[in-house]
Amino acid sequence: MADTGNAVKPSSSVKLVLLGEAAVGKSSLVLRFVNNDFQENKEPTIGAAFLTQKCNLPTRTIKFEIWDTAGQERFASLAPMYYRNAQAALVVYDLTKPTSLIKAKHWVAELQRQASPGIVIALVGNKLDLTNDGIGNGADGDGAGSDDSGDARKISTEEAKTYAEEEGLLFFETSAKTGYNVTEVFTAIANAIPETSLKTTRGPGASHAAGRTEEQRVNLNGPRDPNAKEGCAC
Amino acid sequence: MESVSDTSWDVVICGTGLQQSLLALALSRSGKKILHVDPNHFYGGAEAAFSLQDAESWANEVSAKDAGLFRSASVARHESAAGLSSRSYSLAMAPTLIHARSALLSQLVSSRAYRQVEFLAVGSFFIFRLPQDSAQQPALIRIPSTREDVFAATTISSKAKRGLMKFLKFVLDYQNPPQLELWQSHAEAPLTEFLQQEFKMDAELQTYIVTLTLSLNGKITTRDGLAVIRRHLSSMGVYGPGFAAIYPKWGGLSEVAQVSCRAAAVGGAVYMLGAGVQAVETAGDEVKLELSSGDTVKTRILVRADDNPSEQTGISRLVAVVGSPLTSMFEVVVEGASRPAVAVVAFPAGSLSTPAGKASEYPVYLSVHSSDTGECPVGQNVLYLTTLSTPDSRQLLEEALEAFVGTAGEGQPAQILIQIRYEQLAGSGSFQPEGPVITFPSPSFSLSFDDSVLEPVQQAWKRIMGDAAAESDYMSFADREGAMDDDDVYE
Ligand SMILES: Nc1nc2c(ncn2[C@@H]2O[C@H](COP(=O)(O)OP(=O)(O)OP(=O)(O)O)[C@@H](O)[C@H]2O)c(=O)[nH]1
Ligand SMILES: [Mg+2]
Repeated sequence: MADTGNAVKPSSSVKLVLLGEAAVGKSSLVLRFVNNDFQENKEPTIGAAFLTQKCNLPTRTIKFEIWDTAGQERFASLAPMYYRNAQAALVVYDLTKPTSLIKAKHWVAELQRQASPGIVIALVGNKLDLTNDGIGNGADGDGAGSDDSGDARKISTEEAKTYAEEEGLLFFETSAKTGYNVTEVFTAIANAIPETSLKTTRGPGASHAAGRTEEQRVNLNGPRDPNAKEGCAC
Repeated sequence: MESVSDTSWDVVICGTGLQQSLLALALSRSGKKILHVDPNHFYGGAEAAFSLQDAESWANEVSAKDAGLFRSASVARHESAAGLSSRSYSLAMAPTLIHARSALLSQLVSSRAYRQVEFLAVGSFFIFRLPQDSAQQPALIRIPSTREDVFAATTISSKAKRGLMKFLKFVLDYQNPPQLELWQSHAEAPLTEFLQQEFKMDAELQTYIVTLTLSLNGKITTRDGLAVIRRHLSSMGVYGPGFAAIYPKWGGLSEVAQVSCRAAAVGGAVYMLGAGVQAVETAGDEVKLELSSGDTVKTRILVRADDNPSEQTGISRLVAVVGSPLTSMFEVVVEGASRPAVAVVAFPAGSLSTPAGKASEYPVYLSVHSSDTGECPVGQNVLYLTTLSTPDSRQLLEEALEAFVGTAGEGQPAQILIQIRYEQLAGSGSFQPEGPVITFPSPSFSLSFDDSVLEPVQQAWKRIMGDAAAESDYMSFADREGAMDDDDVYE
């Protein structure tokens, strides 16, 4: 097992769950991140959806296993089985809709009470394209005027950002429609996941890395053959 | 939006234990309208996995209720455990091993649900051996279970090795003519007797073999025993060198149940926690249900599980968290193998005794789970002890725990941080696939997954699907769009 590890970066999978009120744009954010696409009239999610997408960091590749949950109240019982063992959560609100931030705060509290202790939570205010500060300068918090006429914004950057800081959350304002800040959210999450909680699941360097958990995940998709000696192909 | 009461459901499934959840998975692409409810506020039913706080509230509920399949549940925290983070634990109610040749795994693969489960290797099986004379210490002896292993073993005589090798060779082909004759006349007799008569094995070697069957009463018949041993041996190496069984990370069968429910929800099933079926009324082709949530719902078929306890059989369980890494339990014994996360220790019948001096009638099994299972923080282990219920079983579990921590601790006994105790009873009903109400049997006690658990699920599926059911379609799904795992191919 020599150092053949330079060519391929180690890759780890990260389980991520999206929570938030109905119609805030959870599925749209995922669609933008995974397919770089947007649908003007996206139908509400029934139950949940599962998608995967990779995120390339300088030193490693993160494979997101994304669970997008339905925001409608009748699906509220689902959340616990999706945030169970999740390493990251994206709690989304619609920055033109005050009730959606209240709902988001409920989700944050529930995650802090029930989810894995080390879970990385990002608070995301979506539909930034509907505000005057529009695309390009909304996320930094500068010039986040909230009450200009014609501006649909109902939740100021300041308010949400202060809350996020108090709770230790990552914070972004995004537009799934224009794509603004969407990849940034996922990259920030990938960077915020502590190295130590990342199990290297694939690639060379996975086993025998000193001081690290070696490759342990059993691959059920490999050859199901008792004579396949020393099965793993590394 | 349609409410649960307005919808005419095809199936209402009550309970999110393993069988009900697998049924939900099996129906997840059927287009049927499925309402899946659970009276509990957690998923997994009798196969749940708990944080410390969950375990405590569950134990309180069980004590308050005095009905159902669980009894006498309690949680004790050692004073040094006061500051432990509740959610760093995922303590399994069903810490069941799964042999590589189990049909459960092929169903998880064909249904694509396996992609969401992380499996870990189950490593060595040990026997707790009492000292032969007063100068010796009790010891944990590793059971050799492959031929290479038998050769290398230093704890057995070469005569015994030959007997063992002969037996291993026999088992791999035991259903074919020359071998068949050897065991058929012993089929219903205890396996130990057969081993003694036909292979001249001494008591210790018999114990090795019986331990590999994980037989709860230690009296497994020759017929069943050979089948289980054969499964064990043929599972060896299937998914990698050096192990026969695997364990789902984060709480065993609990994880399998939840992954199944997640897939069902993606397929459109509606989930309600805190909603049990309180009253059932059959009217024509319909069943009317009153849920504890207050809703009244209509369905074609109701599926639930038997939770009327029989007073006949049960198991006693003790779950203990210890503050020591116990690395010697998880050594890699075959070159190139990955580090196991689970080890099994058997205390054979007679090897333990109550403080009053009564010897144990049945074996006690102890599964050691490292922090790699995600069930406890790094540096700790979860020990799951199981034995058949007897008036002494609780005490014997304590004895076994004490003996184990005294023997396996590195230098000094491992500190016990948490202990959970409970009794689990078998149900009294049998599986009834007919009529509008299908009742699954109560959860299996088997320590290694028993494939017979899968049969009622498939029959219920058949019954629900009616003429549309083609056996070959059962649990056979393509990956959903966007959910491909292209990493399965090495890049
Ligand atoms: N203008 C604007 N519209 C958006 C944006 N994101 C989503 N939408 C629209 O908002 C509506 C709801 O979006 P979804 O992505 O379905 O919302 P959701 O949170 O997944 O909703 P549920 O699945 O019901 O929980 C759709 O009509 C989207 O087109 C955005 O960034 N800007
Ligand atoms: Mg959606």
